[in-house]
Formats: sequence, C-alpha cells, structure tokens
Amino acid sequence: MTVMLIVRQALSGIVRDRGVLLLVVIFAAMVAVSAFLGWSATNTVNAIYGQAVDWLTAQGAVVPPNPMHQTPPLASLRNLPVYISFLGAFAAIVIGQELVEAERRAGVLPLIGSRPVPHGRVAVARMLALLIATAFLITVAGAVAILALLSLPLQMQVADWGALAWALLLGWTYMSAFGLLALGFAARLQGTAAGLLAATVVWLAITFVLPALTGNVNPTAAINPVSALALVPDTPVFHWLSRLLGPVSLSEAFGWLEARTMGYLPEGLAPRAPLPLLGLWLAFVGSAAFAFHANKTLDPNGGCDA
Amino acid sequence: MIDASPDTPAIALRGLSLRYGRHVALHPLTLDVPKAEVFGFLGHNGAGKTTTIRLLTTLLTPTEGAARVAGYDITTQAMQVRANIGYLPENVRLYDRFTTRENLTFFARLSGVQDARRRVDEVLERLGIADLSNRRVGSFSKGMRQRVGLAQAILHDPQVLFLDEPTSGLDPMGVRHLRQMIDQLRAEGMTIFMNTHLLSEVASSCTSIGVLAHGRLVFHDKVSAIAGYDERRLEELYVSVVRQEDAA
Repeated sequence: MTVMLIVRQALSGIVRDRGVLLLVVIFAAMVAVSAFLGWSATNTVNAIYGQAVDWLTAQGAVVPPNPMHQTPPLASLRNLPVYISFLGAFAAIVIGQELVEAERRAGVLPLIGSRPVPHGRVAVARMLALLIATAFLITVAGAVAILALLSLPLQMQVADWGALAWALLLGWTYMSAFGLLALGFAARLQGTAAGLLAATVVWLAITFVLPALTGNVNPTAAINPVSALALVPDTPVFHWLSRLLGPVSLSEAFGWLEARTMGYLPEGLAPRAPLPLLGLWLAFVGSAAFAFHANKTLDPNGGCDA
Repeated sequence: MIDASPDTPAIALRGLSLRYGRHVALHPLTLDVPKAEVFGFLGHNGAGKTTTIRLLTTLLTPTEGAARVAGYDITTQAMQVRANIGYLPENVRLYDRFTTRENLTFFARLSGVQDARRRVDEVLERLGIADLSNRRVGSFSKGMRQRVGLAQAILHDPQVLFLDEPTSGLDPMGVRHLRQMIDQLRAEGMTIFMNTHLLSEVASSCTSIGVLAHGRLVFHDKVSAIAGYDERRLEELYVSVVRQEDAA
C-alpha cells in the first residue's frame, strides 16, 4: 500500500519533468529510426531481388532464393539493441537519478523520513518506480519494433515473436541495471552533478572504453550493430585484456546476447564474457542491491546543514 | 509500556548527544517538555537546535543518551514516534510540480490517514488556504509554502509538533497567522517544540524556554517563572546566559 503510494508519487513526478519526457521522446524517435532503417533495408533488398527475379526469369536462368528469407526476420531490427544500450541506458540513468534528486531538491526527504514508513520500503518503492519507467521505455521500443515487423513482408513464426520478447526482456534488464546504478549513486552522492556524473562515467566506460580495450572496437564501431561484434585482434595485449576485462564488459555481453537472440550473430563469434547472460543478471542484481542499500541508508535530512 | 498519565512529559531527553567523530554536534542534553506546552528552543545559528529536532524526529540517530517523544523511545520505537509527530523543517519546499492538494493528499496517506481527501479539506479550511488547493506549489511565496508546510505537519493530528524556525522569512501577517495557529493547536492539547532565534516569537507564543549555546543547554525554565517577562527581559536573559557560556 505505502510502496505503491510512493511509486505513484515518484512516477507522477517523472511524468511532469520536461527533461525526462524529452529524453523519452528522443529514445522513442531513435527506436523508430532504427526500425525504419531495418524496414528500409529489407524493402530495398526485396525490390532489388524482385527486379533480379524478372531479369533472371527472362534470361531463363535459375532464380536463387530471396536472401531476406535466408535471414532471420528479427535481424532487420539489428539497430534496436544499439539504441537500447545507448539512449535507453542513458534515459534510465537520468530517470534513476531524478527519482532521488527531485525529492532532495523539493526538500521532502525529511518529511518522508519522519513519516511512519520504514526506509527500506521507501527504497523498494523508488526501485519499483525505476523498473516501471524502464518497462515503459522498453514497451515503447517493443511497440515500434512490432509495427515495423508487421509492415514488412517477413515470415514471422511464433518462435520469432518469442525471441523478440526475450530480446526486449534483455534490453529492459540492461537499461534497468544502469537506472538502478544511477538511483544508488544519486542516493549516495549529494547534488545533481555528482550523482549523474558517477553513473554516466560507469556507462561511458562500459559502453565505449571496455569494448575498445577488449576488442579494439572504437566508439564509431561500437554504435554499429555489425562492427561492434568483432573478433578479438590477434595480439597478446588484446588477448589478455579481453580475458581480463571481458567478464565485466557489459555492453559487449548485451550486444552478443541480442545478436544471438535476434539471429544476426556472426558465425563462430564467441562472447567476451564466458557466461554473458549470467553477467547481465549479476549486473542487474548488483545494481539493485547497491540501489537498495544506498536508498535505505539515504540521509533523510537531504544533506542540509545542522 | 507507554505511560499515558498527564504528568508524563511529551518530550523527555536524557543525556541525548550526537558526535561526528571528534566533533560534538550536541552535548548531553537532559530536558523535559510537558504535554500541551509550547517550548521555545533558543540559540544562535549552529548552536545545535536543528540537530536536536532531527534527533527527536528520528532523522538522526544519537550517539549517546536516550529520548522519548509522545511516550516512545526515539531509537527503539522510531515508527511509533513518527506516527505521533508532525514536523515542519526550515525552508520547506514540497513537490513543486504538484498542487497543494496533491502534496497534502500524498503526505496524509503516507501518515496513514484513512479519509485523506476529507482531512485535507479540513486542514486547508482551517489554515485558510482552501483557495490554494488546486495551485501548483512551485508558484508559491515563502509564506504560502510555510502554510502548506504546516498543513502537512498537522494532517494526521500528531501529539507533538516540531517547528524549525517557523517564522523565518515570513511577513508580519504570516507571523501573526502562525502564532494564532500555534495558540489554537496548544489549546487543543498539542505539544509544540519550536526552534527559533527570534525572541519576539518566544515572548508571544511560548510557555517554556530553553537556551542552547555551543551544543549545551544553558537555561531552561517556565516562562511564568521569569520575573517581569517580556521581550526585553528575555533578551537580557538570553545575552546573559550565552555570555556566561562563552566565558566558560
């Protein structure tokens, strides 16, 4: 009861924040762009194939099968995980940070802290609000993805829809891990800049620095769904760095899992982390534990001077 | 067991203190505030008044000593203490993007008020701010916010009300209205613990006073026990006890 009351209040506050809303709109727009890219590429290949079929038939030559039918249908959405790991994760960070900072800014932390509500319950409520907000983001992404898939002449099977649901669940887990991390940092560190900066630095390191160190994937390559899935360069430095840092290279683990789920993983490409799914869930659970502890022990005085 | 007899103090501190490492924020403080009193806690900025309120409202945990508020121990019965207190911090701001009614309904429900809507209406009427109910708090002046802040503190009809510098930044009408409110609440049996550094506020509203200097209680008595009590006499007394403490 109390948890849902705080969840409702937190989400109402988020909905009224123009900055957060703008970020959500940008995320939705970029997801739509990624879907359009897949839709456009598929239609282009189909159009070229159609012309080739006409020409080959006229020549009396054998008509090869449509290459798009050789590719899993979800591969047309290969840009989606990129936007989830970039904009989605960043939007989750901003939401997580705002959930705490809005209350600190409003000076209501002492008012909540002096109410007969256990601080652990308040922490759970904030986490739940974050998870609902990221679920909303991933639902938007899913809706756009479904519209794109339905508008293409693809042969979607039940298993493909299941794979899409699994890919979206992975995306929600990935985004939420960053959101929870931001929720924890916002509670632990006082001030908008400090909390946001700490979570953003971790996000930048995981998104750009670690892939560069483990696989020479530079930032430009990292935002390309194909070039991000690169083999480890055959040098001793990358060999050891990928072994050392691979298990914590979360964005690579996420990219690999999404590529495998959506059917565009290059053949024979091994993940950097030995167990990428476990790594992703551990990151989620670790972030959740950090967020819970930081929010449970959050100074209800809001850092004001005594 | 809770002693509900009228003689039990609403607030009882026994050697309550707080340290941050080697820094003593509040020296051991022993003090009783009887029920239905308006206790004025005087002291200059940084004397430890806000720290004391934060300890009593369970927002801070004491390093030594004990205290009971409304009959409950602040460390072992924090939930019961919170259920029986109202708190108006200094410079209360509230949720800017929400209306007065939305703010108050949230805090009423958080305090476990059953019929929150009806209670919010009652308190809005009582404080004369019904016309602000559907306006966003972000557009309010300091005085208007303070009234809404007081409303959130009394929504659940607490036994003890903590006010931290309640008249800070208020215009004369706001101060007058707050004083009337304090008098009414006291008449209804509420105990009020008020931090202030304004002697006029103490002179007009309080039934007992305590003076805190450098984290120590240097004076505590009933207002009625101070001979020739008025604002000027209070000022002389305040300066005298603080100087003695400074000299010591």
